[in-house]
Amino acid sequence: MTATLAPTLIRQDGRDKVTGSGRYAADLTVTGMLHGAFRVAEVPHARIRRLDTTAARALPGVYAIITAADVPEVRYGAFLKDRTIFARDVVRWEGELIAAVAAATPEIAAQAAALIEVDLEPLLAVTDLETATRPDAPLVHAEWATYEADENLVRDGNLASRSTIVKGDADGGMADAYIVVKDRYVADGSHAVPIEPRAILAEWQGDHVTIWSSTQVPFAARSGVAETLGMPQNQVRVIVPHLGGGFGAKCELGFEPQVAALAQTAGRPVKVVFSRREEFLLPDHRRERMILELETGVRRDGTIVARRAHLIIDNGAYSMDEPFLGQMAAMFAVGPYRIPNVDVSADVVYTNTQPSGSVRAPTGPTTCWALEQHHDVVAERLGLDPVEFRRRNLVHEGDTGPTGQVFERIGALETLEHAAAAIGWGRPLPDGEAIGIATGWWPSFPGASGANVTINADGSGTIVTGAQECGTGAVMALPILAAEVLGMRPDEFRILYQDTDAGPYDGGASGSQTTFNNGRAVIAAATEVREQLLDLAADLLEANRADLELIDGMARVKGSQTSSVSIADLASQAAGAGLLLGRGSGEPPPTPAVETANCVGRLGAESFAAPTFFTHAAHVKVDRDTGVVRVLEIAASHESGVVINPIGATGQIYGGVAMGIGQALSEGVLLSEDGRQRNPYLLDYKLQTVADVPPIHVDFVDAPSPTGGPKGLKGIAEPPCVPTPGAIANAIVRAAGSRVRELPMTPERVWRALASTNGEN
Amino acid sequence: MRYLVTLQVNRTSYPVELEVGRTLLSVLRGELGLTGSKEGCDDSECGACMVLIDGRPVNSCSYLALQAAGRQITTVEGLASGTKLHPLQQAFLEHGAVQCGFCTPGMLISATALLAANPDPTEDEIRAGLSGNLCRCTGYVGIVAAVRSAAAELANAD
Repeated sequence: MTATLAPTLIRQDGRDKVTGSGRYAADLTVTGMLHGAFRVAEVPHARIRRLDTTAARALPGVYAIITAADVPEVRYGAFLKDRTIFARDVVRWEGELIAAVAAATPEIAAQAAALIEVDLEPLLAVTDLETATRPDAPLVHAEWATYEADENLVRDGNLASRSTIVKGDADGGMADAYIVVKDRYVADGSHAVPIEPRAILAEWQGDHVTIWSSTQVPFAARSGVAETLGMPQNQVRVIVPHLGGGFGAKCELGFEPQVAALAQTAGRPVKVVFSRREEFLLPDHRRERMILELETGVRRDGTIVARRAHLIIDNGAYSMDEPFLGQMAAMFAVGPYRIPNVDVSADVVYTNTQPSGSVRAPTGPTTCWALEQHHDVVAERLGLDPVEFRRRNLVHEGDTGPTGQVFERIGALETLEHAAAAIGWGRPLPDGEAIGIATGWWPSFPGASGANVTINADGSGTIVTGAQECGTGAVMALPILAAEVLGMRPDEFRILYQDTDAGPYDGGASGSQTTFNNGRAVIAAATEVREQLLDLAADLLEANRADLELIDGMARVKGSQTSSVSIADLASQAAGAGLLLGRGSGEPPPTPAVETANCVGRLGAESFAAPTFFTHAAHVKVDRDTGVVRVLEIAASHESGVVINPIGATGQIYGGVAMGIGQALSEGVLLSEDGRQRNPYLLDYKLQTVADVPPIHVDFVDAPSPTGGPKGLKGIAEPPCVPTPGAIANAIVRAAGSRVRELPMTPERVWRALASTNGEN
Repeated sequence: MRYLVTLQVNRTSYPVELEVGRTLLSVLRGELGLTGSKEGCDDSECGACMVLIDGRPVNSCSYLALQAAGRQITTVEGLASGTKLHPLQQAFLEHGAVQCGFCTPGMLISATALLAANPDPTEDEIRAGLSGNLCRCTGYVGIVAAVRSAAAELANAD
């Protein structure tokens, strides 16, 4: 790996976090603060016949109760405006909010919420994904046709969105194929499970509100509050204290409007802190359930000639970013492979279950798990080694992607070779053990982003950015970039971040975009300051500006040992005159040109900017008697352009792999017959513990992207959980002889697959 | 019914009047203002609320505050000596053991108890010792490395 600017960066927020002095949203208290609680539907589909808050209001210590009747009737949603902040007339999933209560204590708030009388008339619920697609299925939204929607959406009844990827002639390709392989995979939903359950505190002064929220996207929260409560954005300030993880679940608009409205009605600040059960049940960001039907035609030499796929994706009861994610899934169903003929459709379908939405690399792990198993089935039918099969089909520089984009410098093949070498592909293993491999890809997301950089009178630096730190360290690494521009050390900067009134806009801790976009902004802002420093130094040193450099905290004539002035001295001079202030955003790099004339449901995911590629190899042991799978070792090779903060980047790989193992083996939403989650607790929804996670070997392949972020870097945080489940699945079949086509691959499912007389590969 | 008790937390005495059902975590975070201990599940499942009671790690979400009266309670706020970090805290920073930081207080408490009981743990012993603490960010790699490093540092200091 190259470009190691900060081999051992100590995070600025680290000391706050190891001493316990750092405040998270739930830790905050303001004078006069009340405690809030929500009343939720607890049934999957019903009409609200009567809603009576009289008894609840009579409870001593209750200050306010609000329902849909107390807030503007605004429907919102990123692509499809199908939801309101409180249920109106109908509830469509068990976690839908009906009312909110503000009271003197959390206990009184909860008691009052329970006292609200809600008379619900049950409606037919559709919770099964395939049932939802049938013409006679009950409609989740009877009035779907009246909703405002993105003009590119293709929808019909329970079909919230259909996206297709069409290239060449898939029928012709299949007809020409030496063999055609078809199979089907089914994945349960799963959860992001940040260890911090979310908390929101809202306080009004006059006509403006400050909201402290555990959101990954403060600017989206701000615009969402403004939209749903009907106020200008500059009267809404969103501040994120330290954020205890998000993994996508704290993206988009969360519960900020409801808490703000509650605080306004109560005339007092109100804080809502979620219980673990609420953190599982209420967010509209569950990883989507999916059914994947995959079909591949290959030539005798193992090269793929055609791909068909049909994906059914659970939208849940309301559409957040899921229509866009459906199109992403369609791209992932093609994968980073040379395939001349493609016909993929992805149907995002309403059900009366929790809304789906971005969870770390949304749709990525599930689709990669299915596709990479499918590829191993194809390789076996051809008698080809799985690594060799991928070697013959992976994309190279100059190849075209599923929508015709031409790949620039990429390292997909290198990740395959490196992961295979690191795990010892082909080495003999004891009975019951085997190695599996999986490769995938993921886009970067160019977007607007801003930052300000100042040098203070004493020469210390301050970065003020709209970017959001969710724990990855992406914001913590921004000083590396400013320091390089200004010839200073990263630890000479402090960062003010995640406050919408302080920093310029940024898209938030979302889409692995922080370093990609805000890094560019910080460099642009630091570059302005650099110009100001050079002007000052040129005057002072009576030197030609072009002969000056900023290095080791000084401006000096290049190569000179004597003609120099410290940045602190320059800053001290500037403090009395023209201040050292830089602002920047920079131009986001362009997304690649595509040919999508035959594709529908184009929502922006058809072009993968600066795509990153990766391969994981998993060494597992399967207990045939119990179906228990133990992961012994993972090799993870990632091409992310370049790495600028190794401690942060490897930390993302480690954490992503651990999450990937959980997704593979233990993490799944269990739904009851009537569509309710049966395991919204950490004892029943099992994360990987420190005793479960095996050694993880991390490798980075350098391939700076000409259209990437600073120095050619690409997004890094989401991809590491993508290929792990597929690698484990392929190892299971090689270890035990049976393929598990349901995710998560729980001991029971593995055992059933092994016990099945049809347990063919 | 409320009881007046004194809680000894991080070598400081706190007189508090408590109802019997209050958890130690809620009193630490509420009346005492020590918000370093986190509530991740309120069910002894995640370990974010761990504190030491007479040197033993407990989930303070599931421990009654009244039970803690007369015992020595140590929270994450009590690990450093003034501005000097405990070797575990310093090692957590240097080994990338901290990302979002929400599990960190409980992890540090667990690790402190582990090293007190077993100053030279093997990797397996570290993994067993911390298995009551969930982390979603790090894959535990940096955490295990930090505990090993701090163990070595503490051994050298002796």
